[in-house]
Amino acid sequence: MSRAPAVTMRLRVDPVACEGVGLCAQVAGRVVELDRWGYPVIEAELDARGVKAAQRAVRACPRRAMWLEEADTLR
Amino acid sequence: MSDTLVFGTPPLPAGRPAVGDPCLLLGPVQLAPGGPADPLEPAPAEDLRTHLDRLGPRPTGSPALMTALDEAHLTGQGGAHVPVTAKWRRALTGRGPLTVVANGAESEPVAAKDGTLLRQRPHLVLDGLMIAAEALGAERAVVWLHGDDHGARQALLAALRERPWVLGHPAVEILDGPVHYLAGEASAIARAVHGGPALPTVRRHPQPGAPRTLVHNVETLARVALLARGQAPTGTRVLTVLGEGRAVVEVDARTTFADVLVDLGWTEAPQAVLLGGYGGMWARWARVAHLAVDESALAAEGLTLGAGVIAPLGAWACGVHQTAGLLGYLASMSARQCGPCVFGLPSLAEGMTALAAGRSGDGVARLLADAAIVEGRGACHHPDGATRLVASAVSTFADDVAAHAAGRPCGAGDIAWPGVDS
Ligand code: SF4
Ligand code: SF4
Repeated sequence: MSRAPAVTMRLRVDPVACEGVGLCAQVAGRVVELDRWGYPVIEAELDARGVKAAQRAVRACPRRAMWLEEADTLR
Repeated sequence: MSDTLVFGTPPLPAGRPAVGDPCLLLGPVQLAPGGPADPLEPAPAEDLRTHLDRLGPRPTGSPALMTALDEAHLTGQGGAHVPVTAKWRRALTGRGPLTVVANGAESEPVAAKDGTLLRQRPHLVLDGLMIAAEALGAERAVVWLHGDDHGARQALLAALRERPWVLGHPAVEILDGPVHYLAGEASAIARAVHGGPALPTVRRHPQPGAPRTLVHNVETLARVALLARGQAPTGTRVLTVLGEGRAVVEVDARTTFADVLVDLGWTEAPQAVLLGGYGGMWARWARVAHLAVDESALAAEGLTLGAGVIAPLGAWACGVHQTAGLLGYLASMSARQCGPCVFGLPSLAEGMTALAAGRSGDGVARLLADAAIVEGRGACHHPDGATRLVASAVSTFADDVAAHAAGRPCGAGDIAWPGVDS
């Protein structure tokens, strides 16, 4: 259905910056769930719609704790 | 093969090389169970003259050395066992000013091999640091220590006073980190050497010209110094064994766990061993007794000794209690930055404590589920040590876990290990 993006993208969260406010999960429930302490658990593989959702999460995070990167980026 | 059989065999000589031909350590040492690696009895230490008489002058470092390091399959001895040249190649691709760090701040609370090596052979470690710094064109060369490791600091300062300063080489800086054991975490060190707090961090998109930091464990650098001189790989492993005190020994890597303990005077087989330290993994004694302590042999069995810590658990103790205590310790040691670690580790500790007390109901499934959720979600690997501990405890002590979960706690106690509440 959705076309595969040229590069696979990954949503990352900086757990130090994240304060568990949970806005990311509200705007991007498709790719972010909250664990039972309120911190985001991220879907490993993003399809094209997932990338859109991930971009919303990045914009919504009040702590600027999230970012998108190419999936093969060295950790 | 039965556990008792293991100790029916006569003690073998430890696989130590002949005296006069040390590989890394000059000799084994006995230490107090916790704290810095100050030996209980005076131990040998090498001055510059002895070092040079033994090994000859230090060769200059160059990237060509990577061939020898690859052939020797040299991996990081801080615990992760990443191939050294993988780190070198990554460092060589960057453009920002490079700092090479010799990490002497062991990131396992009871590990003492690095502190021992720094006390006995500071020149060998400094050689390795300078060789790596030269090979990679580093601007700074730093030795990073735990803030309370005065013995290592003194040994290094004395060694540096003996060494001639060479024009054009970075002067070795000795930096004291916090006492906290997470101070040895690589991303925390990278921040601290550039004036930041010694706290782990997540690397976002690296900027092309940003300062780079390469962190090597001190034993890794000592091995670099030997390989750079054209020596064959030592074939040895340096271990910290926790008993009533701690022993730091260098053994032939083909030595079995059983022989390591027999040589150290153990007369009773433990029920299990904690491999790698508090953030390590449990294994049943029957599974490891006849395995060699060699890391690649262990990897083939799905095991790792990390930074070389062996902590045997006596037959009379309770692995579930012991694990609950360890998890409490790990939870208290969190750098308290990341939600999944700050909330997840206490939750794991509580779950294991409830299980130990026989009041957990379906707690085992929940404990494993919590561990799976916490795994990989901190800025550093501290929480991953805790999740691995949980998973290995549940499989290693399966019978005890089942009995506790069925509301039949054992009443057996735990062993007093440094920092761990019983
Ligand atoms: S919105 Fe940002 S701070 Fe809030 S939970 Fe999500 S990542 Fe964390
Ligand atoms: S994972 Fe835990 S120990 Fe590591 S930085 Fe985060 S809070 Fe600190």
